[in-house]
Amino acid sequence: MKKNRNITYKGLALILSVLVFTISCEKWTDSDINIDPDKPANVPMGLILPGIQQSMGYNLVGNNSVRTNNIWMQIFEGVDRQSFTEGRYQLVSSDVNNLWTNMYTEMMINSTIIIDKADDEGLESPHFAGIAQVLLATSLGIGTDLFGDMPFTEAFKGGENILSPVYDGQESLYGSINTLLDQAIGNLNSTNNVIDVSGDVIYDGDLDKWKKAASSIKARHAIQQTKRNGNAAYSAALAAVANGFTSNDDDFLVPFEDQNKNPIFQFMEQRTDIRMGANLIDLLLATDDPRLPFYAEEDADGNYSGSALRSQNSDASFPGPNLAAFDASAKLMTYSELKFIEAEARLGLGQAGAQEAYEAAVAASVLRITGEANTAWLDANINGDPVTLEKLMTQKYIDGAGTNQPYADYRRTGLPSLTLAPDAVVSEIPRRFPYPQGELDYNTQNVPAVTLLTKVWWDQ
Amino acid sequence: MLRVKPVLLPYITIRGSASITGNNQPLFVVNGQPIDTGGGDSGTGGVNTSNRSIDINPDDIATLSVLKGGAATALYGVRAANGAIIITTKSGKNLTQRKIEFHTSIGVDQISQTPARQKKYAQGNNSTWISGDRRSWGPEISSLEYDGDTSYQWDPNGRLVPKGTGNGNPARYYDPYEFFQNGYQLNNRFSISNGSEQGDYFFSLSNLEQTGVIPNNQYGRTTLRLNASTKISDAITFGANMAYTNSRAVQIQKGSNTSGIMLGLLRTATTFDNSAGYEFPDGTQRNYRNGGGYDNPYWVANNIAYKEDVNRFTGNINLSVQFTDELSLNYNTGIDWYSTKFTDQFKIGSNNLPAGYLKEQMEFQSIFNSDLLLTYRKDISNKLNMSLTLGNNFFSDYNKALFGDASGLEIPDYYQLNNSSANTTQTGTANLRTSAVFADLQLSFDDMIFLGVTGRNDWATTMPQQNKSAFYPSASLGFVFSEIEGLKSDFFSFGKLRASAARTANIAPVYSTSNYFEAANGADGWTGNNDNIAYQFPYQGQTGFFVDDDLGNSDLKHETQDTWEVGADLRFFKSRLGIDFTYFNNTNTDLLMPVPIAASSGFNSVFLNAASMESKGIEISLNASPIKTENFSWEFLANFTQFTNIVTELAEGVDNIFLGGFTTPQVRAVVGEEYRSIFGEDWYRDASGNILINDDPTDSYRDGYPMTNTAQGLVPIGNFNPDWTANMTNTLTYKNLSLSFLIDVKKGGVMYNGTAFAMNFFGVSERTVNREVYYNADGSINFDTTPAENLVVMDGVYGHIGPDGEIISSGVPNVTPVVQDQDWFQGQGSNFGGGPSSAAMEPADWVRLRDLTFAYNLPEIGKGKTIKGGQIYFSGRNLWIDTPYSGIDPETNLGGATNAQGMDYFNSPGTRSYTLGLKLTF
Repeated sequence: MKKNRNITYKGLALILSVLVFTISCEKWTDSDINIDPDKPANVPMGLILPGIQQSMGYNLVGNNSVRTNNIWMQIFEGVDRQSFTEGRYQLVSSDVNNLWTNMYTEMMINSTIIIDKADDEGLESPHFAGIAQVLLATSLGIGTDLFGDMPFTEAFKGGENILSPVYDGQESLYGSINTLLDQAIGNLNSTNNVIDVSGDVIYDGDLDKWKKAASSIKARHAIQQTKRNGNAAYSAALAAVANGFTSNDDDFLVPFEDQNKNPIFQFMEQRTDIRMGANLIDLLLATDDPRLPFYAEEDADGNYSGSALRSQNSDASFPGPNLAAFDASAKLMTYSELKFIEAEARLGLGQAGAQEAYEAAVAASVLRITGEANTAWLDANINGDPVTLEKLMTQKYIDGAGTNQPYADYRRTGLPSLTLAPDAVVSEIPRRFPYPQGELDYNTQNVPAVTLLTKVWWDQ
Repeated sequence: MLRVKPVLLPYITIRGSASITGNNQPLFVVNGQPIDTGGGDSGTGGVNTSNRSIDINPDDIATLSVLKGGAATALYGVRAANGAIIITTKSGKNLTQRKIEFHTSIGVDQISQTPARQKKYAQGNNSTWISGDRRSWGPEISSLEYDGDTSYQWDPNGRLVPKGTGNGNPARYYDPYEFFQNGYQLNNRFSISNGSEQGDYFFSLSNLEQTGVIPNNQYGRTTLRLNASTKISDAITFGANMAYTNSRAVQIQKGSNTSGIMLGLLRTATTFDNSAGYEFPDGTQRNYRNGGGYDNPYWVANNIAYKEDVNRFTGNINLSVQFTDELSLNYNTGIDWYSTKFTDQFKIGSNNLPAGYLKEQMEFQSIFNSDLLLTYRKDISNKLNMSLTLGNNFFSDYNKALFGDASGLEIPDYYQLNNSSANTTQTGTANLRTSAVFADLQLSFDDMIFLGVTGRNDWATTMPQQNKSAFYPSASLGFVFSEIEGLKSDFFSFGKLRASAARTANIAPVYSTSNYFEAANGADGWTGNNDNIAYQFPYQGQTGFFVDDDLGNSDLKHETQDTWEVGADLRFFKSRLGIDFTYFNNTNTDLLMPVPIAASSGFNSVFLNAASMESKGIEISLNASPIKTENFSWEFLANFTQFTNIVTELAEGVDNIFLGGFTTPQVRAVVGEEYRSIFGEDWYRDASGNILINDDPTDSYRDGYPMTNTAQGLVPIGNFNPDWTANMTNTLTYKNLSLSFLIDVKKGGVMYNGTAFAMNFFGVSERTVNREVYYNADGSINFDTTPAENLVVMDGVYGHIGPDGEIISSGVPNVTPVVQDQDWFQGQGSNFGGGPSSAAMEPADWVRLRDLTFAYNLPEIGKGKTIKGGQIYFSGRNLWIDTPYSGIDPETNLGGATNAQGMDYFNSPGTRSYTLGLKLTF
């Protein structure tokens, strides 16, 4: 009997210990365990900035943007696989997902985070804000020139539960770009700055260069409106040019390096499906252009040759070091582009100085690309040759190889004139990129219905 | 089920899927201790890592049972939402004298079916042989011979030239499948066990060494186990189980990857011999594309390796106290610890990572589990018995990974992280804990009516504070109606009806309740390192961060699974025939998942309770002993399963969820569709669904051929899920001989044969052989010179695309003969040329002889019966497969054990294997 009671007590003790265990359940499952020790909840602006810049360099001037539209511009020629099919203008929504996604989730949202952080009380940094505004405007500008209408006023607000942002019309986006750049210039001029700029891999915190970049991007998007705004576009461009880049040293470039190689270099190393296009190479060959060996590698016969349109000539020249060296910088904007804008604006307005600006633009281009002035070649081929819009746009096309500008300019001016690929799946060279699959799938109610031939606002 | 091979475990799901994007594989519980079974999956390239359930020595397993349905798994809590596999290892219980077992076996593996290739046309383009050309659209092989030029480095026989202009050595077709070899395995297992009144023990030792069908693919496993228990007093028993496993593997690259074995192998031009050397003396690579393109598979097998080395310790201790006849306590606690070392090395010169690459990853994984059970049994009356169990559980799962990589190796063949200036390092942690209290009441009346009720409350760290706790109940009822007086007879031996209903819950993954920053890096889909990272930090000597593009959510709730089932278990003829029938219905609501959202929101996904799914179906099993005599018996066991798994709801604004695959095709979850539907592009079709065959000579499409509809985007093009599956095991025994075979049937489901679709472009698939065609000056086919067997009429109706993209169908069936020539296969006849994925879907049904075993049971041998018994056996796996699928064994999946099933894109082939074994008992 006694023994039994003893066991009953033990049983009770065990039941009690179960209760104790139960109470300690709360402690065992402390919520702090669910904080990720390997990811910070907060990061200083100087560690966000270089990521934005790197992503802009890799994506805005990379394989999902420039590689495709430079095939369409016959600067490159797609000789195999997807690059070959893109050459007949087959570009579908899933092909542009990575570009769009990286613009929004890498470049633009992180720029807005810097702009917000730069407003923190006591830790204000209008300088950081200004740089982030230039980056945001540059990304949005290149983006809208390819895609037309895009989400902006409701964009980047997933954290506020806006998961399907509405699209802003391109005219409105152009207004936003201009406003951002004006605000940027104001912020960069501010003397009330607490946190100094750090982490800037483009201009190493040189605020004057950022101000010039802001004005230069303004000029780019002003001239892009010639079809809509005529002379007002030229005048706005000239006004912005006045505060823009003043030499090749001001160029808006994203560097690449051994650990982070140029996108076209990586493409040629891993995919190899593009060659130089005959259209560009023939232009360069015609005048024995000194930029040729920088734009193209020698082919197997030791010559420079482009692959003729749709010929799949894989023996043609590979892209050269200016476009595809491992450390070839991504050109977000250059002084030479700005001088071409100036020349075009003066020419359009019938103002003096168009010829000088044109000659300065080509000279800057040749110097930047070859590292030498090549005065004799300039004298023989450019200097003193009266500028026309066609010559100007042709030279701007040569200068802009490896950037999105030839495609933007072509749609605006039709220059230089290009032959439609004989096996084209559309009736003319596309007027835009399609919207990405992610927007079609997840923002269905807002994404505009377009085809590759739907013109963006400034093209109408 | 626990098949141990370097090839991977098949993907296991029990009764459909409970989660959309998460893990759908069951919980493994060994001796009461939940174990980790991660791994086994991958993306579309790289390697599939080993699933960690292979760390168990199959010979150690005494019983393995599969728990299906919520009521059965209710007590295992949140981790058993996908069912559970309950394993008990052997012990020395019930032994009266020492038992020594020795088991040795040798096995051979061979590749099973392979995609067919054309053997008629040589490397080249437009009927011209071209050195290094990626395609095999060259002249007929029979029209070529070698020029014998020994200075031509790409082929020891020289270049191919027209017959009569070379050295007379004729061109020939090279079979690329000769690359594969026999895989061998040697498996030795030893165990010793004994038991008595005071206690018992079981000790085992095993070693497996295996080589794969791909050269240098290896797997090895050494296991050690000690299970022991002792009676401390009449009332107290103490036991411990401990197992140590070392497993090591070398995996080879697969899939969509320029270094993938099958990619380089299947695209290899018909007239190129991969085996005639893969490396030149200067270290550069010899392959069919003159160095570029895809790697020579021999080069890959010899120069790229993914090595795994796992040391694992699993152990638990068990204390049980029998206080009285009625009250007992059981405490079981244990750990599952392992450390894994992964080394991924690429020699300089691959086409995937030309500059060389090294990754080292060290991972520590730890599970802790503690279960306290207090059981009270009472016979309330003669007929009414009850048992009540109260319990408590603590569980933690912790994983820490440290990884470093080096891109661009400086010194060749030196695999050290210091051998590069481009290093990155990273750490990753996953830590979760749960606790629970539960109660289980079982009542039985007169051995006829059984009622069970359970309740469990879980607390989990991964849930937001306000939703940390969740309660879920279950109830089950069984009625053995054969106990009713007068029902039992010689014909009818046993009958039971059962019904149960349960709710179970599942918790969010770690760290999904808030948002973080993460190391900045990115991908563009074209370039990058082994993880497709194209740009990363450090960059320009600094570090960088982006806001995490996966948005967390502090309002998450538990996901719940409500299940009910009814069933019957009927046995006849003195139980020699049994039928078991179950109908089940699972409703999963508030499924937790990262939901993809429009990137313009600034994020790629947000974590939500975002979906509902329903799966329902039937399971029938039949067992019979049709013949049972003293010397001969025949036993038969069959299972039939049919279920549907439909996505019933997705979160507001979410149309579909990407589960895996490519940009096209891809596997998705879509409302109203079967879970894991495959989406891709399709042909232009008219309103009746007929494929449009172009009849407009003025447009850019070829007349007489169908056209890809790129305008409508991706549409459902089938799914891999079977209509039903069945398997049958027959076991025939005559005296000491036995023969058993398992036939496995999968009916229904389609698979994407992206392999053949891509091979079309390269002119190497068998279907490209009927390519010869001659045209008249006006572009029409010259029927006099074109071989008649090459003419085909493609299925569809005449029509074309109007100026505004509208579909114009004539409704008239197509009768225009065309030839599927090079232009077709480099165009819409392949994925590379823009053909729609729908054209590559093939039925993936199968009937296979999954297992056949012939065994001879040894009699007792020797003086004093030294050898107490044993067995000599021969067994074969997958000896025969009948499937309409034209590629490799359709059971293989590109991503391995993932939710994206039904993808074949240069998958590694399946294997058949033969094993000869000897078991001896002393």
